[in-house]
Amino acid sequence: MSDLLEIKDLVIRFDTEDGSVHAVNGIDLHIGSGETLGLVGETGAGKTTTALGILRLVPDSGKICAGSISYKNVDILKMSDKNILDIRGNEISMIFQDPMTALNPVMTISAQVMEVIERHQACTRGEARARMIEILGKVGIRPERVDEYPHQFSGGMKQRVVIAIALACNPKLLLADEPTTALDVTIQAQVMRMINDLKKEFGTSMILITHDLGIVAKSCDSVAIMYAGEIVEFGSLEDIFDRTSHPYTKGLFASMPRLDVETERLMPIAGLMPDPMELPLGCKFHPRCPHRMEICTTDNPQGTEVNYGHLVKCHLHTTKNGDMD
Amino acid sequence: MHNNHIVEAKELCKYFKTPHGQLHAVDGLSFQIAEHTVLGVVGESGCGKSTLGRMLAGLHEVTSGSLYFEGQDVTNPSRKAKKSLYRRRQMIFQDPSSSLDPRQCVSDLIAEPMNVMKLYKGRRERDARVEELMDIVGLAKRYAFSYPHELDGGRRQRIGIARALACDPKFIVCDEPVSALDVSIQAQILNLLQDLQYEKGLTYMFITHDLSVVKHISDEILVMYLGCEMEHATSIELFEKPLHPYTKGLLSAIPIPSIHTNREEFIMSGEVASPINPNSGCRFASRCIFADEPCYSESPEVIEVLPRHFCACHFAREVNGM
Amino acid sequence: MNNAINKEIHSGVSGKLKKRSYFAEIWHRLVKSPVAVVCIVYLAVLLIGIIFADVIAPYDDKATDLSSRFQTPNAEHIMGTDDFGRDLFSRLLHGGRTSLIVAIIAVAIGIGAGMIIGAVCGYFSSLVDNILMRFMDVVMAIPGMLLAICVSVALGSGIVNTALAIAVGTIPMIARQLRSSTLLIRNQEYIDASLLFGASSVRIILHHVIPNTLAPIIVQSSLYIGGSIMAIAGLSFLGLGVQPPTPEWGNILNNGLDHIYDVATRWHVIVFPGMFIVVTMLAFNMLGDSLRDAMDPRMRK
Repeated sequence: MSDLLEIKDLVIRFDTEDGSVHAVNGIDLHIGSGETLGLVGETGAGKTTTALGILRLVPDSGKICAGSISYKNVDILKMSDKNILDIRGNEISMIFQDPMTALNPVMTISAQVMEVIERHQACTRGEARARMIEILGKVGIRPERVDEYPHQFSGGMKQRVVIAIALACNPKLLLADEPTTALDVTIQAQVMRMINDLKKEFGTSMILITHDLGIVAKSCDSVAIMYAGEIVEFGSLEDIFDRTSHPYTKGLFASMPRLDVETERLMPIAGLMPDPMELPLGCKFHPRCPHRMEICTTDNPQGTEVNYGHLVKCHLHTTKNGDMD
Repeated sequence: MHNNHIVEAKELCKYFKTPHGQLHAVDGLSFQIAEHTVLGVVGESGCGKSTLGRMLAGLHEVTSGSLYFEGQDVTNPSRKAKKSLYRRRQMIFQDPSSSLDPRQCVSDLIAEPMNVMKLYKGRRERDARVEELMDIVGLAKRYAFSYPHELDGGRRQRIGIARALACDPKFIVCDEPVSALDVSIQAQILNLLQDLQYEKGLTYMFITHDLSVVKHISDEILVMYLGCEMEHATSIELFEKPLHPYTKGLLSAIPIPSIHTNREEFIMSGEVASPINPNSGCRFASRCIFADEPCYSESPEVIEVLPRHFCACHFAREVNGM
Repeated sequence: MNNAINKEIHSGVSGKLKKRSYFAEIWHRLVKSPVAVVCIVYLAVLLIGIIFADVIAPYDDKATDLSSRFQTPNAEHIMGTDDFGRDLFSRLLHGGRTSLIVAIIAVAIGIGAGMIIGAVCGYFSSLVDNILMRFMDVVMAIPGMLLAICVSVALGSGIVNTALAIAVGTIPMIARQLRSSTLLIRNQEYIDASLLFGASSVRIILHHVIPNTLAPIIVQSSLYIGGSIMAIAGLSFLGLGVQPPTPEWGNILNNGLDHIYDVATRWHVIVFPGMFIVVTMLAFNMLGDSLRDAMDPRMRK
């Protein structure tokens, strides 16, 4: 199966008065059509910046320095500004974390959904309205409520509207940036189920950005674990959950209090995320890693395929492989 | 038995006046917290758990009902009674960036309660205590003159904890102390809170929306919905045998980070209703799949369905096949 | 903000922690702006000039010499002389002293009273708040200069009275600003935390509310000093403020204006006092703007 989106060696940097913030440092990702990729990491790992990079929406102070993002074998980074406008919201769309700020408070819900449809599809106003009613119906908003304003909706309902706007033009790829973080658990469950159902119905691919491994286990096909702007582990659900290989991923699992497992004491990862302005030499994780070796402080490990399709960026695994050879 | 209850609440209510009517933030809660234990309070946003915590800490006045602290009635304490209460109960807040004055450095922040209460006469004694507290919560001495905005969320929360501990309280209300933190930092803070509880024999009321966290840290758990108690049991019991339909729905809504769970899916429909002028009857009725005629008209009483396992549901036994 | 946090973490790890207070940080950002540096340098020079006016000024500011009236700038009198043959440069240096002292007193009164009223109103929103704020609204409705003229006429001239006259107009503006910041701060959790220790309202206002509103007030005060210099000059110009022979920029300018019918030979009697007023006011205003930029974290890229 050919990949719908393939990111190669993407580097994004923000230049500030005090120095450069290395937000994304050479990541490789690929996602096939209909697949869901979970992009997992803590605050400041570069997840959102990666997603914004795919849409070429990185804020002004940021710069995409290197790499390629090929969507249907065309490099998004080399497209003209006009072509990228046709792709945004149409072929690739995004769901933002906070539904409170993603909607315009002075426009009705219907107008906001129709705006997207009319921009990207050749249709009359009547057709656009019919499409709007249809898509809002799919996310569970009754036709009699479509002409209301965002403040008349609850947080969960607003997020449904945001999803409707994202899906209005049948995108091929959906970038969902923490779509349920601002919601309560019971509403989160409703919204996640709805996203998964609609994704199946439309055959959309999705990159799901989250910090919650529980959501990943339920919704994703493959998982990428990000740390300090790099993907430290990439693989299928089974690879990540059952054959966890990178010390950071292991640390993440050990720091979570769990409902399904009894833990007397959590095992947190020592230390803090490194400053993206002054990243450590060698492996970015080495100052916090319990298995740190000499080589980790000097050389940044390359991705090693420990299993088919299961990539790990860690010297523990490169040396092991070397030994076996 | 009664003697070692550090906190006892009887029919505790807190109503707020709003332009649209009376908001029932907390509506008739009764419970006890035994000494050296942790009572976890869970619920979704708007269920009144924070209001409850602030009432117990003394930040909100009680509308009706009564509140006892170490056997003493503190429902509406006198000025004098308040003074001794300041030293005995404290609170840790959710958002360390808003609960720490941005213009004060770490040592000033931690010393503030001691200055206000005039706990130490000499400057040297006080500074020694600040150092000791920083050591207890795991803050390196070199941060003594840093400002909160220069520190990360985990360290800021450590300052909040040190400040709460400054006057050696017996009881601490923890209002979502780890919700704003990343998992790896969250684990560090949870471990710290647990260690402090064991070492100092503290009693916590731990308020959170995260059931995995509450399960990890609590001895007993109180599940709230729209200001009312739904279920109250020991932590182990509640997770093994949830009785109330709301608890069941809440538990099944939590995504488990494992690919080998085969839980029955039970997604609650609908959303939390408004707490302003609520209907009589069970607050959860509109979302409950088992709701029947009495649920809409009569408010269910809290009954002890199993030993020390309380549940407020008309059909508690029927729903659970008892 | 995040960068600052991360920077801290890192420098903490490497053990070289910088102890830089909030105001030191602002100063650091302020001196990065060339405009601010120019203003600071100008104001510093001016301040030294007027503080040591007795030493620096080549002549006595009140010594008349009718034989050398209306001299244009020359080697002896670098800014020329006025209608009584007094050295203009000496008079302007001494006059600056009066102008700045009055302006600073005016702003200090305005800010002091405004801060107390604002903080009290914001902290105890109640009947007191309502009454005080409506009164402030009434005061604000009267144009500032008109108000200053009225107060000045009622109180009479003199340094303190002039300062009071000008301060009355700034009180409501400061009070309003402080009230709204106080309302925001009162809902912050650190106020709750202090209440939990039993801190009194006075302590909370002094230790938490006022320090946290200080930044915008400092910006405002530099703008108000500029405005006050202008207002004092205006009052003196009208003959209400500081009375001659005490030199003050406004009355020097006013005096010069009486003799302006012969511009070609007497231009200096209005150009120099005018220049001092305008440049000083501009310096304070531009410093205020730079201060605001330095204090507003959103201005950081």
